[in-house]
Amino acid sequence: MKKILVIDDADLERELLIEVLRGSGIKNEFLQARDGDEAIEMLGLNHKDICLILLDWQMPKMSGMEFMEGVVKVPAVNQIPIVMVSASGTDDNKKKARDVNPQLGGYVVKPYKPEELVNVIQEYLK
Amino acid sequence: MAISAKEQELLSYVNLLVNTVKKLFRDRGEVEFSKDPILTKRNIVEYNGRMRADGMEKFNNPTFVAAINFYVDAAAMAKHSALGALVVYVEQDYVATMLKRLKYPPIDDEDNKAMCDACGALCNIIAGAFKSALVAGGYKELEMSHFSSYRNTAPNGVEFCFKEYDKYEICFHIDNAKRLVLELTMAPVPKGR
Repeated sequence: MKKILVIDDADLERELLIEVLRGSGIKNEFLQARDGDEAIEMLGLNHKDICLILLDWQMPKMSGMEFMEGVVKVPAVNQIPIVMVSASGTDDNKKKARDVNPQLGGYVVKPYKPEELVNVIQEYLK
Repeated sequence: MAISAKEQELLSYVNLLVNTVKKLFRDRGEVEFSKDPILTKRNIVEYNGRMRADGMEKFNNPTFVAAINFYVDAAAMAKHSALGALVVYVEQDYVATMLKRLKYPPIDDEDNKAMCDACGALCNIIAGAFKSALVAGGYKELEMSHFSSYRNTAPNGVEFCFKEYDKYEICFHIDNAKRLVLELTMAPVPKGR
């Protein structure tokens, strides 16, 4: 079973997200990164095993948006679906994210309801 | 006493923030504050060009502090030219309880790093919701920083707009005890997109 890469600078948000998904019966293994830098390293090592990226926006060192700008340019990884999970949830933010990545898999605004997150990512786990 | 247009503007952001926090706590954790938040205008205490943020002053007890800045656009953010700052203070003894009430996973309350992280996560969701409320109120979309968090005090202070001299302190009470203190300073936010 493929892995889900969770990228968020808040440990608690990563834990919450994983808890919500495991609680919904999702059995995939999770990889975790605290910022875009760490995520790129992880992606380089594991990209063949990753089926989905859950990405925060505001992070130190490299933001989620900068990470995504990099990922979309790399053919080896740009087919991996990305779902943004961010506290910034205005229409403008969503548009910016889609401008950077027209294939964006979804945009979930924190704090989210568990079912909302699960509904968005379910199709990428089939 | 009449207040200036600028003060009125700051107060309108404060009111937006108060309503945002009330909604967030109600929706997320079914938490109702036990009385109306107490708003106090204070002077910004500056050192080395940054705003002092001291948690011990808020609760007279160990406190976790988290801060997020707002910027007019990405270029201003890159230059660290802040338009505003939101600082969140939660007393150490209440961090784990508050996050539990907001349906976050349990936190090890003896782990400073986990407590800082939790306070940062709280600051992040408040700041994000506040930013959305500003947009809904007809203001320009602001850029928002990632959070920084500390125990007791932000040793190097917090970025703020150097043209601002005032901030608002907002105290929220849960079960009749002061449980959450926010500080907001904000230069006038441009209207529209």
